[in-house]
Amino acid sequence: MGCSISKKSKANYWDFASLASETMFSLDEVEAVYVLYKKVSCCIVDDGLIHKEEFRQALLRNKGKPDLFVDRVFDLFDLKRNGVLDFGEFVQSLSIFHPKSPAADKILFTFNLYDLQHTGCIEREEVKEMVLAILKESDLELPDEVIEEIVENAFNEADSNQDGKIDLEEWKEFVGKNPSLLKNMTIPYLMDVSTVFPSFVENKIMLI
Amino acid sequence: MGITKNVGNYQLGRTIGEGTFAKVKLAKNITNNQIVAVKIIDKQMVLSNNLMSQVQREIRTMKLLNHPNIVRIHEVIGSKTKIYIVMEYAAGGQLSDKLTYMEKLSEEDARKYFQQLVDAVDYCHSRGVYHRDLKPENLLLDNQGNLKVSDFGLSALQKPGSLLSTACGSPSYVAPEVLNKKTYDGAAADVWACGVILFELCAGYLPFIDPNLMNLYTKILRAEYECPKWFTPSQKQLIGRLLNPRSKKRITVAEIAEDEWFQRDYKPAAGIYFQGKSYSDDVRAVFEPEKESSEEDIVPETQGFINAFQLIAMSSDLDLSTLFEEQDDKNNRIMLGSKYTITETIEKIEKAASDASLSVEWMSNSKMQIQLKSKFRSSFNLLAEVIEVAPTNCVVEVSKPAGESGIYKEFCRSLSQMLTEKSRKHRR
Repeated sequence: MGCSISKKSKANYWDFASLASETMFSLDEVEAVYVLYKKVSCCIVDDGLIHKEEFRQALLRNKGKPDLFVDRVFDLFDLKRNGVLDFGEFVQSLSIFHPKSPAADKILFTFNLYDLQHTGCIEREEVKEMVLAILKESDLELPDEVIEEIVENAFNEADSNQDGKIDLEEWKEFVGKNPSLLKNMTIPYLMDVSTVFPSFVENKIMLI
Repeated sequence: MGITKNVGNYQLGRTIGEGTFAKVKLAKNITNNQIVAVKIIDKQMVLSNNLMSQVQREIRTMKLLNHPNIVRIHEVIGSKTKIYIVMEYAAGGQLSDKLTYMEKLSEEDARKYFQQLVDAVDYCHSRGVYHRDLKPENLLLDNQGNLKVSDFGLSALQKPGSLLSTACGSPSYVAPEVLNKKTYDGAAADVWACGVILFELCAGYLPFIDPNLMNLYTKILRAEYECPKWFTPSQKQLIGRLLNPRSKKRITVAEIAEDEWFQRDYKPAAGIYFQGKSYSDDVRAVFEPEKESSEEDIVPETQGFINAFQLIAMSSDLDLSTLFEEQDDKNNRIMLGSKYTITETIEKIEKAASDASLSVEWMSNSKMQIQLKSKFRSSFNLLAEVIEVAPTNCVVEVSKPAGESGIYKEFCRSLSQMLTEKSRKHRR
């Protein structure tokens, strides 16, 4: 872990018990998440906060380049909108991905995630931008009309009042019919994170 | 006992076996009345022995083993306190029981079981999985009398230290280098155990016996044994090569396959695969407390264009569970774009596989498993899934569950080239 000793005091700064009561995590799980948090937060700048670059690096196999989806997730995690994640924000946001978290929270998270421009609706341009990003990920170039067709297909199914935008109600209904869209919104690891990852627990003992 | 307990779709029945960390119960799948065996592992016990990550890794590996002579893992279910491994039930019982009432086997029977054992061992070794506790108790028989090796890949659950204590049974199958507590090669130690088993099958008794444990160790370390007079010269020769006390000089699995005694009537098991039953490589599910009822297919039966959101949800960048994975694990999934229709894409995959001497085994109409063609020494095993994005375009997701990464990278590179090259057939 490398950075365990210098952060000793910060660990006490967070009230793990109240974080546990505000989220889906048990106290043990919050402590285990803290170990993960420490690992990510010291990978570039050892200041006890997660910067966007650190978040990218932790998720993106060391590429650390700007990435539409990762950056969107970071922005949504950044509840205080100050460009860094503190442990409270990290736990609260990660809690949405807990297997026990209500589906409604997960649906809302995806809605906000896809509403790139924060307009309160998912718009055609936003969907197109995301499709282009994922095609880029798999090095697949598609003719523009094919991309239009894929986007059109989504709106045909999701935009029930056909006004060209998907609002939260429409989104809920659409996800209800296509539960696989929430697949990435649950991280099974988060359940029993303290028992599944004994190394986290060991490190936790080191910290205290 | 009155109380019946259900785990997932399984109704648990009587206990059929018990070990240090685990208990095995008979169970019935209530949806189809299939009888299975369920190994129940106590999480706390594993945790207090600091073995959780190892057990987790081993269960992942074990789920991927698919060989006619290895007890198949159907499903792994986790609860807060227990891990349930749902396995194929081998109705024929343990080979050790058969040995007890048969005393010794005919040369033909012994050879058949030995061949099946070596097939299973080879299959696992080539995937980097070692048994480390081969003995007749772990060799089961199905109702057709075929051998099924159980507990492959579960070596963490067999406390290595306890092998040496009398309390945990006889060290009769343990290789000299293991007794010496040297760091040892799992493959060679398994080969030694195969040698002891072969001897026992043919002779009806163990090669190394002594009431005094120290004397027994000495005999094993020196490989002091005597063949019964009915052993043929070719039998003696093979056993001698298997029970070589110097692990580096010991015969290898590949060499066993070349042996004259072994080769007789040999029908390699590779190639006989379980049909149809697709299994998930979803390693995360292993420790998932509540099994989700069904795996949603990302792409429903729509002809032509994928829905944009289904495509977006596939992005690996949205998969935050990578936060919990070690760096090494992260390169095990790759998405390749294809400029071809789904049928053409599948043809390309088959072509790329055959170019690299790999064989393709279908698991469903869009999922396949790819492995080395040769009967022996198949050293890796990957999964590919084709997803239709548009009538003329697909995405292929390739993931590598186990094995060497060199061939994996090479295969992905050449497949990617094939899928993106300009072609006359390409429609705009």
